[in-house]
Amino acid sequence: MKRNSPWLRRMGVLFLLVWSLVPLYWVLNISLQTDAQISAKPANYLPPTPSLSNYLALISGTGELPDAIRRSMVNISVECGVATVVTVLLSTLAAYAFARMTFRGRRILFYSVLATMAFPAYTTLIPLYRIMTFFGLVNTYTGIILVYVSGFLPLATWIMYNYMSSLPISIEEAAQVDGASRMKVLWHVVLPLARPGIISTAVITFLFAWGQFLFPLVLSSDLSTQPLTVVIAALQGRHTVPFSLLSAAGVFAMGVPALIAVTLNRYIVSGLLTGSVK
Amino acid sequence: MSFSTRRRVDLLPYALVTPLTLFIVGLALVPAGYTIVASFFRVQELNPPTTFSGLDNFRRLFSDEAVRSSMANTALYVLVGVTLSTVLAIGMAVALQHRFAGRSILIAVLILPWALPGVVEGIVWSSIWDSNTGLLNSLLSSVHLIDHYQVFLGQNQLLTILAIELVQVWQITPLSVLLVLAALQNIPGDLYEAAKLDGCSSWSVFRWVTLPLARPGITIAMVQAVIVTLNVFDQPYVLNGAASTGASLTMQTYFISFQNLDFGEGYALSLLITLVTLLVSFGVFKLVYRPVEF
Repeated sequence: MKRNSPWLRRMGVLFLLVWSLVPLYWVLNISLQTDAQISAKPANYLPPTPSLSNYLALISGTGELPDAIRRSMVNISVECGVATVVTVLLSTLAAYAFARMTFRGRRILFYSVLATMAFPAYTTLIPLYRIMTFFGLVNTYTGIILVYVSGFLPLATWIMYNYMSSLPISIEEAAQVDGASRMKVLWHVVLPLARPGIISTAVITFLFAWGQFLFPLVLSSDLSTQPLTVVIAALQGRHTVPFSLLSAAGVFAMGVPALIAVTLNRYIVSGLLTGSVK
Repeated sequence: MSFSTRRRVDLLPYALVTPLTLFIVGLALVPAGYTIVASFFRVQELNPPTTFSGLDNFRRLFSDEAVRSSMANTALYVLVGVTLSTVLAIGMAVALQHRFAGRSILIAVLILPWALPGVVEGIVWSSIWDSNTGLLNSLLSSVHLIDHYQVFLGQNQLLTILAIELVQVWQITPLSVLLVLAALQNIPGDLYEAAKLDGCSSWSVFRWVTLPLARPGITIAMVQAVIVTLNVFDQPYVLNGAASTGASLTMQTYFISFQNLDFGEGYALSLLITLVTLLVSFGVFKLVYRPVEF
């Protein structure tokens, strides 16, 4: 406890709080003001007349802009939700095979999967766009979800593999001796035990998917599939959109991941650490 | 685990890994291979046919003024981003090293910027850097450090890059902190006890115990930072647009491929970025990593 001087640690803690929270406070502060109020000099450090009107305008307003925000919120939820479910499902099945079975080609396949993690994601940006064009999947949910799943599967498989390998094998063996098939063992024994690993994988996959920008920017061309991130960036380029309204849209885009990060941070931390150490 | 002695091929593991294999081969390995091959071809959407062109794509890249200035910009992003995120991560990890009340809440706060979309973070920070209504201008003029509002983005190249990269550092530092913190928690407590008995100052404990033993964690954090800073896109795209003061190499890939529809040159630039990323990551690994045994 007394190893490093307490005031130095307190300074570090204070810095961490200011560094992480001040930008978030600032965007909240702006989103609660009118566009006239945010042009004040010096700036209003607290909203003079806090109002949810920017949020209400987005939620229940009519017109092109609120429609775009609402539609893109549906899009991002569908794309991230489906991509997460598929990624968790496929990575769990594969990780079970890698962790508990021997088969020809196991090592080479496992290392190929891991090797793809060393490459920057954008290496495959153009070919993936060309492939999706070829199969007519540009500007479809399917196209975006396929790309997300392929991008997040390696990390997800790695996290699930590490988690399953850390489980005691004796329980599974006992179940097999009792005559349970391997798929029954997976479903009734391994999956319940692996729950924390599954939650980690799901949460990390979902957050990665939610933060995507360049892939959907290329793969979706209109509001039928554009996620919130792409729509917000497009609005930012238009100077006709009031910044206070844009900030409220930004808060919408940050609300879901922020809530997940705060409530499930234990799973994020353990998942990220098994995902990158070792 | 199977009690069967008959030599029948066990199909179950193959069934379990088939979907993963299809995804990895079809949507990662084949496209990556395609990038390598196609970077030696002339592939222009509006101007077919596709023909072999040797190193022509690379030649055009290096003679393109916009690409050349983006190379310099990207080098600065990497330099600033890796240095700053590593220094901050070590500082914050040391602050969080020992258990104290409220530590888990701090870790939840810490990972917030990591969890949020980079594009939206760019918009958040644009309200801090803004030249008319920004928080930074307001604060600086309140304490009379400036007498009129300044333009931070888009004029001075170095300032622009610093301001943009700080936004990325904000996003990537939390992961670095976790990685360094994990390494710090592997350090046995008796090493600190021994150092204290020997009368070491807190600085020399940090310099000779903490820092060397955290090297594996610091290495991974730095390699992560190299990969993401070398491929930076969201933050400069939102904060500074196509302007040459801040455009990154990944942004050029996007412009070349999806605005000029010159896929051949885009493939070549993708391949170049990938190779440089692998090379610099490996270099940093060699430079920083030392195995640690307790």
